Amino acid sequence: MNWDPQSETRLPVDPAVREGRVPDRRSEEIPELHEVGCPPELQERIEALMARYPDRKSASIPALWAVQERYGWCTPEGIRQAAAVMRFTPGYLESVASFYDLLHTEEVGTHRIEVCTNISCWMRGGDELLKAFYEAGEGEDVHITGFECLGACDIAPMASIDQRYYGPLEPGEAVTAIEQLRAGGEVLPEKDLAARGLAGDTGPGGPPTDPTTPGGTGA
Amino acid sequence: MPDPRETRVLLEHAEDPALRTIDGYKGYDGYATLEKAYREMEQDEVLKELEDSGLRGRGGAGFSMGKKASFLPRGEMAKYLCCNADESEPGAFKDRELMQRNPHQLIEGIAIAALAADAGHAFIFIRGEYAAQADILDAAVAEAYEAGYLGTNILGCHRDLELVVHRGAGAYICGEETALLDALEGKRGNPRLKPPFPAVQGLYGGPTLINNVETLSNVPRIVAKGADWFKGFGTEQSPGTKVVSISGGVRRPGNYEVELGIPTRELIFGLAGGPEEGHEIKAFYPGGSSSPVLTPAELDLPYSFEAMAEAGSMLGSGSIIVADDRVSIPHMALRTARFYHHESCGKCAPCREGTNWTVKMLERVVRGEATPMDLDIISSVQENIMGHCLCVLGDSMAMPVSAMVRKFRPEFEEVIANAGSPLEEGEQHAVVRGPAETLGASI
Amino acid sequence: MSAEAREVTLTIDGREVTASEGEMLHDAARKGDVEIPYFCYEPKLGDPVGACRMCLVEIEGIPKLQTSCSTPVRDGMVVHTRTEQVKHAQSAVVEFLLVNHPLDCPVCDKGGECPLQDITLGWGPGKSRVIDDKRHFQKPIELSPLVAIDRERCILCYRCVRFSQEISEDDQLQLLERGDRTFVGTFDDRPYVAPFHGNITDICPVGALTNYTYRFRARPWDVEEAGSVCTICPSQCNVSFTVRDEQVKRVLTRDNAEVDDGWICDRGRYGFEMFDAEERVVGPQLKGGAAAGWEQAIEAAAAGLHRAGGASAAIVGDASNEEGYLVQRLLREALGSPHIDSRPSRGPGREALVRLAQPELSVKVRDIDDADVILVLGTDPLHSSPILDLRVRKAIRRNGARLAVATERPTALDGGAEAIARYAPGAATHFLAELAVALGSDIDNIASPLAETLRGAGKVVVLWGERIARDGAAELLALAAALDVAATNGAGLLEIPDTTNARGLREAGCLPDAGPGLGETSDASVTAGMTNASLVGKSTEEIRAALESGELKGLVLFGVDPLRDFPDSKAWEAALTAADFVVCFSMHENATTAKADVVFPLETHAEKDGTVTHPDGRLQRVRPSASRPGDIRPNFQILSELSTALGHDPGIDSQPKAFAALAQAVPFYSGITDSDIGGRGIRWQDTPAVANVPRASAGAPSSLGTSSKGRGTADASGALPSSSAKRSEGAPALALGTYRDLWAGPITELNPPLKFLQPQQRAELSPADAERLNLKHGDTVEVGSNGTGVLARVAIRERQQDGVVFLIEGTAEDNANGLLNGGPVEVELTKVSEVRA
Ligand SMILES: Cc1cc2nc3c(=O)[nH]c(=O)nc-3n(C[C@H](O)[C@H](O)[C@H](O)COP(=O)(O)O)c2cc1C
Ligand code: SF4
Ligand code: FES
Repeated sequence: MNWDPQSETRLPVDPAVREGRVPDRRSEEIPELHEVGCPPELQERIEALMARYPDRKSASIPALWAVQERYGWCTPEGIRQAAAVMRFTPGYLESVASFYDLLHTEEVGTHRIEVCTNISCWMRGGDELLKAFYEAGEGEDVHITGFECLGACDIAPMASIDQRYYGPLEPGEAVTAIEQLRAGGEVLPEKDLAARGLAGDTGPGGPPTDPTTPGGTGA
Repeated sequence: MPDPRETRVLLEHAEDPALRTIDGYKGYDGYATLEKAYREMEQDEVLKELEDSGLRGRGGAGFSMGKKASFLPRGEMAKYLCCNADESEPGAFKDRELMQRNPHQLIEGIAIAALAADAGHAFIFIRGEYAAQADILDAAVAEAYEAGYLGTNILGCHRDLELVVHRGAGAYICGEETALLDALEGKRGNPRLKPPFPAVQGLYGGPTLINNVETLSNVPRIVAKGADWFKGFGTEQSPGTKVVSISGGVRRPGNYEVELGIPTRELIFGLAGGPEEGHEIKAFYPGGSSSPVLTPAELDLPYSFEAMAEAGSMLGSGSIIVADDRVSIPHMALRTARFYHHESCGKCAPCREGTNWTVKMLERVVRGEATPMDLDIISSVQENIMGHCLCVLGDSMAMPVSAMVRKFRPEFEEVIANAGSPLEEGEQHAVVRGPAETLGASI
Repeated sequence: MSAEAREVTLTIDGREVTASEGEMLHDAARKGDVEIPYFCYEPKLGDPVGACRMCLVEIEGIPKLQTSCSTPVRDGMVVHTRTEQVKHAQSAVVEFLLVNHPLDCPVCDKGGECPLQDITLGWGPGKSRVIDDKRHFQKPIELSPLVAIDRERCILCYRCVRFSQEISEDDQLQLLERGDRTFVGTFDDRPYVAPFHGNITDICPVGALTNYTYRFRARPWDVEEAGSVCTICPSQCNVSFTVRDEQVKRVLTRDNAEVDDGWICDRGRYGFEMFDAEERVVGPQLKGGAAAGWEQAIEAAAAGLHRAGGASAAIVGDASNEEGYLVQRLLREALGSPHIDSRPSRGPGREALVRLAQPELSVKVRDIDDADVILVLGTDPLHSSPILDLRVRKAIRRNGARLAVATERPTALDGGAEAIARYAPGAATHFLAELAVALGSDIDNIASPLAETLRGAGKVVVLWGERIARDGAAELLALAAALDVAATNGAGLLEIPDTTNARGLREAGCLPDAGPGLGETSDASVTAGMTNASLVGKSTEEIRAALESGELKGLVLFGVDPLRDFPDSKAWEAALTAADFVVCFSMHENATTAKADVVFPLETHAEKDGTVTHPDGRLQRVRPSASRPGDIRPNFQILSELSTALGHDPGIDSQPKAFAALAQAVPFYSGITDSDIGGRGIRWQDTPAVANVPRASAGAPSSLGTSSKGRGTADASGALPSSSAKRSEGAPALALGTYRDLWAGPITELNPPLKFLQPQQRAELSPADAERLNLKHGDTVEVGSNGTGVLARVAIRERQQDGVVFLIEGTAEDNANGLLNGGPVEVELTKVSEVRA
């Protein structure tokens, strides 16, 4: 069939094609420093990080860590500031940030709890522990998420609370942990990985008391 | 007191908290080897010791450390050394122990290996989750600079070495050596095409030696006591001791250092205390989640690279995960697949789509929404992944999953028949952001 | 691959194939007519990524299958591409790619021209085993106002992001997230706005990236592709028009490694709706825009010009070689006037042009690739010849070329430059003198850093802006001599002119002091039937003055819009008003056509048939692809009819005849045939005719200066006004610099899809000056100079020199040309309280 090319009426052509469309925001090239208002201490920190490497690009991840520390997560503003200091496009840094699980490109609570649900922890009740933490309350301030193996299967089921490892944990301890966290006190001192001795050692911290009865999805 | 069945070399004195500090470490002759190497030894002498020792990589591939170092071209160009401390494979937690308890042993090993590789810049790429261990390393590195074991003109020997502790940010793939390089260069951690291999063209395009934490921790003693002393441990093809991480359905999960080649049963039953009262072992991963599972029948195999390879599995990073008779293999297969699906970098199609498809099919299996034919498709998809990917992450899922389907097919069929068991909603994973979640119009 | 790469022989599927060492197996196979399916591989994008895994092949001696896109050939290699193992892998990969693909081909614009579709058919398993649901994205969404992205269709081949990161280097298009959650996007979901971004729609192997200007307009089987040349700028990129029902629906690249490397800018890609814009002049018009018949119009034009006779002048702009040739004959023969020019204001004299045209001094576009050092002089390729910006980036990124930049204004290339020098507006000549000093001695001056980079460099390619030679031709030639480019293979000068066919028009004789082939105007062939005594005519700016003074009476404007594009708009306004009779050839209606007595329509590069000459001497053919709207006639025809009506039949009634006449008149075009030009063009320097190029008169160059007494060649010291004593009370004066922005001009007004890019006047200041004048980013200021003023938004630019404010030429409003007068201009900035919307 052959219709009049002028009359697009029969074709679902977006009218904006004829009027032209206007983007609501500008695209983002490398911002200039005067545009982003980067806090001096953040700028110094990032510049110091760049100096550690033969190529400034290597400082991308450390710089994003710095942004996350400053703002709680990798905010668009923070990314633009880092981009202006490092002379990369914000898009590049966001692309890097979004690749890594520990860098958050969306707002998260000030406290972060990662509960391992991978094989060894799952066998010992990781799922139940995660559920317990959810129930103990994911609030504005606490960000709880299931996570892949954190490299502490010896204390399964375990969780990383604000970057410190704890385990083996009873589901009941979720409540305690979150209370202590909110109270700003020390969290489950006796379950802190740092307090453990070598598995093969007797004496302080010695061989773990017999493991918690495995949960998991035993058939 | 250490368990008598252990052979502690790397973990010697590890029970002493003072070992973390440079003084504590020097108290046990720490850094004596570095001084000897820097003052008295030539690059080739160090290389020779390492090659003769037959030390095999402890990160997974098990490739001769000395040989790899000898692949680096000689000449004026800038060369690099990267210590792979990304340890993210499910079941592995030995590097964590080594760094936490004896950071200076690693630093000394790196400094000596840098001599062998003629590298002027070294990096420890440590997974972001290991914040505590990274802090310990930072402190130790500072001490080492302070003491003049790092930096410029080390011990006045006109040799320089800069060492930077680089924290990752949560991505298993960064353990893959070339992805590690990209991550270290500040990019997304995608594996690179090989060749060129890192030894020829690695970090910033320069020759780069990449070794695992445990591998490098072995270096000081080998150079101090000699290759023959090292070969006195373990088997001919797997010399030395190994820190083995044992976890899952055992009474005393943890890290145990043993001579390579001891019976696997000794590790699982002797050291780790075996399964709990009234339970039996159903299967075990001998070398981390990417190793094809073995059955109790294979418990008496010597724990060595060669024996595990012969049994159709691998020693990998030396991490044993034990599944007792309460564990549902189909669910374990799903856990395994989910991990690789979550961690696939997405660069190459077979891995990206294969892991995702496998997870969906296994979910149907455990939900009982599958047919035995799906098991054939699962197996064939694993076939289609193997050997077709950019790196071996894809294979790392395909190998164990196909092994589980092959070795435990009746159980899979039973789960399907019994309408499976619903996935408990606890089973969600690290949240995925982005438009992927929003369902849109069809055109 | 370098030319001297060794030849190797390998076997692919039993066939013996010879390839050059280092070449990728995939390309070698193609040579041997062995087709290997692929998605992510695209040599234009640089190194392979090996992501899609579609191109796996079996190589004897290697257990695992290898990706042929990333495996260099080796001598004696034995390769199999159709074994069971390979077939199995290929169908496996296709199956994987479809696991998450929506298979919505019936409603997909790519349907029928989609690699994924074809490869699925050719290598896929043929049946689907996938019953699980697929990943979903909102679709389609705006990636930019011009490009729609459908993320469900994306197969993550990396092509588009590699383009953004490694070709245009805008680094805005990124992969976000990881694994099968990965998607193509931008920072904070902002629009992807960059001058070349349309290219990603050409390289996407699926229907994920489509042009809003083409979506649902046509199916591959009801369109035709017609090759032509884009004459929007001097890059003269080779394009292919997708034509449906005789109308251009889409513009694609037409890979020509010698010209454009297979890329085009968004002006060329999306600037086609102006072909049938309502502003288009679709037939002859008389004063006030009254439509007229052809005879009537020709008669009127002839009468008017006849009255003016020798007091007529012509200025040629957007025209083919043939058109330019005919216009100068119209002037010189039919009207007996020498006053013809093709430059916006003035330029070097014949002597200099002849010297600059010497083949040994010139390079071809391709030489940029292999240059050791590239010197960008007085131009910003991104704005003046966009595609060369990509060339320079490629040379630096892939071949390690070093870059030196000497300009008034920061350029888009600064980031990759090894040495940068900034000189005051209009002080280029002074700077070149300084550079000569710095090169010859170790005296330290503003040019020293550049001299550092240039000294001892092997192949130096100098990209110089037309304006450099306005007053500095002698210095430019001196630089060429100092760098000894004549003796170095692959080294030389490449001009980036202000207008699209500048070189062709000069060579066709559109110069006041030179005839066709840069011949002497005393040459009989040029002066034949010339009544006017003076052999040397006036330059554009002199023509303007003469019209104003009444010395000249008639004016022919061919493809130029002085009121918008030439310096000193006010003076031009006066000149056009003073002129007795103005004939204007124009594609679209504009302020200039409104003042003309007769307006003739012009053909677009999609309609006309003719040749143009690339700045590097390549003759290229513009071919008619679409039908002419309304009552438009071929331009050459109008010109010869007009000339005939004036009593001089040029005897040209067809394009071939027009070209033949041109080739005869221009000695160094002689013998070049239409088939020599073909689809790829041919440089006259590469033909035997090169022997006929006029040689520069021996000895010291006489009058290398401008063809006219150029007005004030900047202040000799090249010092900036702000630093010179002169201060008027209040705000200190700044030197005015101007530049032609990529998006300034009718292109963004006549093409609706490009409207959003129309630049608003901005006053670019250095942070220091902004501080001094206490102005903030975004403030509105009036930039004024003796009485005239334009409004502009303040834009602070960190890399800009102090003491200068930059404005854009050719904007619809607040045009900087209003402030220019051919010499250096000082301006004052006064903050305007109320901010204009
Ligand atoms: C997906 C993947 C993940 C890996 N993760 C690690 C790791 O976490 N730590 C490690 O040392 N090696 C890891 N490897 C192995 C490395 O690629 C590399 O072989 C090893 O670091 C070399 O060091 P080695 O020779 O001392 O073992 C991984 C390999 C792959 C394919
Ligand atoms: S959008 Fe197209 S070009 Fe870009 S990655 Fe996806 S498939 Fe490739
Ligand atoms: S074309 Fe070779 S991997 Fe994509």
